[in-house]
Formats: sequence, structure tokens, C-alpha cells
Amino acid sequence: MSTMKYFGRSLFIPSLFMLGACCCDKDVVVAPIAPAPPVAAEATSAVVLTPNIYFDFDRSAITAASEAALKNNAAWLSANPGKGAVIEGHCDERGTSEYNMALGDRRATATRDYLVRLGVDPGRLQTISYGEERPADPGHNEAAWAKNRRVQFNEK
Amino acid sequence: MSNFIEMIMRDLRNSIAVLLVFVCTLVFTSTMVSAEAPRGTITISKEAAGRIAIALDRTSAKGGRESELARSVDGTIRSGLDFTGLFNLLQAPANMRTVQGGALNFSALNSVGAEIYTGGTMTRQSGKVLLDMEVYDALSGKQLMKKVYSGAEGQVRPMGLRFCADLVELLTGKKSLLFDSRIVYVSNRNSISVCDFDGQNVEHLTSARTISMNPVISPDGKYLAWTDYSSGKPDLYIRNLATKATASVGKPGVSIAPAWRNGSDEVATTLSFEGDQEIYLVKPNGTISRRLTSSRGIDVSPTFSPDGSKMAFVSQRSGPPQIFIQDLQGGQARRLTFSGSYNTQPSWSPAGDKIVYSSVQKNGEINIFTINADGTGLLQLTRGEKYNESPAWSPDGSMIVFMSNRQGGKRLFVMNSDGTNQRPLLQKEGDQQQPSWSKGR
Repeated sequence: MSTMKYFGRSLFIPSLFMLGACCCDKDVVVAPIAPAPPVAAEATSAVVLTPNIYFDFDRSAITAASEAALKNNAAWLSANPGKGAVIEGHCDERGTSEYNMALGDRRATATRDYLVRLGVDPGRLQTISYGEERPADPGHNEAAWAKNRRVQFNEK
Repeated sequence: MSNFIEMIMRDLRNSIAVLLVFVCTLVFTSTMVSAEAPRGTITISKEAAGRIAIALDRTSAKGGRESELARSVDGTIRSGLDFTGLFNLLQAPANMRTVQGGALNFSALNSVGAEIYTGGTMTRQSGKVLLDMEVYDALSGKQLMKKVYSGAEGQVRPMGLRFCADLVELLTGKKSLLFDSRIVYVSNRNSISVCDFDGQNVEHLTSARTISMNPVISPDGKYLAWTDYSSGKPDLYIRNLATKATASVGKPGVSIAPAWRNGSDEVATTLSFEGDQEIYLVKPNGTISRRLTSSRGIDVSPTFSPDGSKMAFVSQRSGPPQIFIQDLQGGQARRLTFSGSYNTQPSWSPAGDKIVYSSVQKNGEINIFTINADGTGLLQLTRGEKYNESPAWSPDGSMIVFMSNRQGGKRLFVMNSDGTNQRPLLQKEGDQQQPSWSKGR
């Protein structure tokens, strides 16, 4: 599946701006929080939780493209100390339900662990796997599958 | 009688020989192309296995109610025998019984080509129904079996099915575990249902109205294990079917894909509370007995050898999901599947020789395969029919139930263990999926 194609469809435009920087150097520590320019001008309370990050088929590794979104969500948690996040792991319909339930669990925990490494208190994060049971897009093609291989963030 | 059995045995031996030759050829010639090869296999094995030509006579009865019950039992027997795929069912000729209660006219059977003739009478005595069944060798006219089945009027179906079981045992030499077996499955993604082996008598066991998955009944028929989201996340539940007392595992993370370990009352399931998806054995009260796997990555979908000493399961340890077999004593695991890059959902045959599983293929189909427990004898059972998933053996190993979306929605299908005779199990609205097949009590 083409990573580029999936970006093209993704609603998550700000991540595109960050892509270059993140790909070159995985150990970038500078600017962990990289809000898009208009957001940066305002107070941190204007940070909005990015609803989804996406995964490659049968993978639970956080992609470089998701790093900016996760840093943004860590910033949101930091700006909203009274709130937490439910991290839902989802899969596309390919593959089989039991394995996908485990894969969704891995995606959710990989995401949680990433946020914890960014300094988020694990007590504010809850993970849950829905496997392939709750697709975001009911279609049966790569465009739909790319949207369904996701971790979804819900405020709690 | 002995002549007849000799004849059957000779046919069986011939059939097995043909099958063996063919399977060997398949193994030697087509490890690489097995995905394309077996269409021929199915036809040949079907012809080689043969079907027993059996003439079913109408059960005779005097009186209106008796006749009604007789027609009902005839229907049960006909569909029960047909379901096995072992028989070529023939209508008995009208001139079989020249005189009511008189001698049978076996020469009339020559014209229909029957090897076996069955017929019976239905009577009522002091509130009970009596079904008197007789089985004859059509060639010699020799009686092979005569048995009376009795029960209440509401028990005509189980009586007919008991006759089917006796007839199959008589003609195959193997006790039939099919006719009192049941299939549990997920209805419409949110509840657990059970039906008889042939899709009759559907009952609902749960109504969680949350995502429900993977119901399995314990080998002794006492417990049902399944996963649902009634606690807000996927948890494993174990219900005593008699008392309805239900325990749960209640650990953080997932509790999914249960399988009962044969020869024990423990159920294996994948839990992730320790950070990684590992397989554990759990007692019926929901407490953990012990951990069985410890490799980084997903370990899921256990299934056990008939003696419970070995477990086949799906693991990510070598990359994409493949099936492995682990000895429960030694703990060593070996990889079973090498053909295909995404093999999951193993189910170990009751005879212990084969494992059936589903494989996600490059063309986007999901197909069902069997492989010998030693890794030889790969055989593709479905093809060209979209998604075919969740295969599970019948308790006698003669059939496989599975989910297919070949007709649109997710529906249950059954096939013979060699892939022949694929047909829908249920004619119901909505989705049915994740079946497992359990022994009767």
C-alpha cells in the first residue's frame, strides 16, 4: 500500500509539514510540540486533540508521519491536566478477527507507550482494542482500509 | 452380513489407496502450486470415496397422528443422512412391499441401484411413540439391523437422529458423533447462539448487545467460554451452562480467542495485562492457571491436540502471522505453516492428524486449508469465493464448519473435510460467524 497515497487522503494535513523533519532524524528532541503556525500564535489551550493516527498493514509501529500528531496530543494532555484520553486500536477488515483484536491492542499500547515517553502520566491514558469491529469507513478497498488501520483518540 | 461388510471394507481400502496415491503425488509435485492444484483432488477424492446408495422407504403408520409423526421422522432421517455426504439417497420403489406387513420384494430394488434398504413402522403405545426400524442389504436381502426407538411425541426428531447415528455406525464401522453435536456461533456480532449440527433448533445463549466473539463449549459440554465488551472492553467470560453462573477473567488489556484444552477443564486465551499478547491457561472460575507463551509480539488463537499435550497457535514471532505448534511439557515451538504470508485460525482435528486454518491470499481472498500436523499434505479447500474464515471440525472429524461471505453477508457453511459438498448451514437473516462445533453430551 502506498504511504504517500494514504497521506494524500488523510485529513491530517499538519503532519505533512512535519514529515521532512521527523523522517531525517528519529532522535529529534527539539520542538517536541509542533503546533501548526496559526495555533502557535495562540495560548496552549487552543491545542486540539488530533483524532486519529494511522498504521501500515499488519504493523503496530508508530510511523514517522504520526509523530507530530502524538506530540500534539501530548501537548493537549499537558494543557488540559484535568482530562485523559481513551486510545482505541483499530484494524482494517483484512485478516481475521482474533488476530486483529490482538493487533488493535498492540497499536493502542504502542501509542500509549509513545505518549508516556513524551512525559504523559500513564494513569491518564486508557487503551482498548476494537480489532476490525468498528471500521471508520465501511468500504472494501485500500482507501477505506487505510482509514481503518488507526488509533483513535477520545477525550475522557 | 459378513459378505456385505467385506464388500464395504474392500471399497474403503480401494478408496483409501487411491486417495493416498493422490495425496503423495500432490505433496511431491505441488508444494509451490498447491494453491492452484487441488480442484482436481476434490473431484477425484469424491469419486474415489464413493457414496452408499441407500433406498429410504416411507415409514408405515396406521392412523392420522401416527402418519403425521411418520412423515416427520422420514424428513428427519432423510435430511440427517443427506447431511453426512456419505449417501446417495434413493426413493424406495412402490412395489417393495407387495403385501402390508408381508415379505420385502428385494428384486424391485435392482431397478433403482440401491445397496442398502431401510424402512420402518411408527406406532403409539400408552403416550409413547415407537419407531421400529429395519436395515437390509439390498443385494442379498439379509437383515443388517432391527431396532426400536421410543420417546414422547415431541421426541420424534431425536429418535430419527439416533437411527441415523446407528445406521452410519453400522455402515462405516465408526461411532457417529455428528447427530447430537451442536454448533455455537456469533449472531449479528453481538450475541452468542447455538444450533443443532444441521442448523435446526437455534437458541440464544447470550444477549450482551455489545461486540461478542469466539464462543466455545468445553469438551465435557459443561461450560461456554466467549469474549464480549459488556464491561466496556474485551473480556473473557466462562459460563456454567447448567447453573448459568458466569466467571470473568477481568484483567486489563484484551482477553480473547478462547480454546478448551482437551483432557482438562482449562481454557486457553490470549491476555495482554503483562504488556504483550500471550496465551494463558485459565480455570473455569476465571483465575489464571499458567502462562504458555513468552515471545515478543502477538500469540493468539490456540487449539489443542486431542490428548491436550500440544497446542497449535498463531504467532508473530517470525514476522507476519504463521501457525506454530508447541509442546506443553517442553515448551518448544516449531513453525507449521510456510506457504502463504498470513495464516491464522488453526483448529486441530479430532483424530489429531490435521490442522485446518485460514490463509489471507495475495488475490485478496481468504481461503481454508488443511495441513498434516507434521507440516506435509497441504490441501486447499475453498477458492474463488471471497472470504472463508473460522474453520472448525465436527466432533467426528468428517466435516468442517466455517464462515463465508460468498453470498453477501457473513454466513455459516459446512463442507466435508476434503472440501467437497460445500453448502450453507443456516438460512437466517443477519450475520452469523465464528462457529465452533461441540460434542453432544
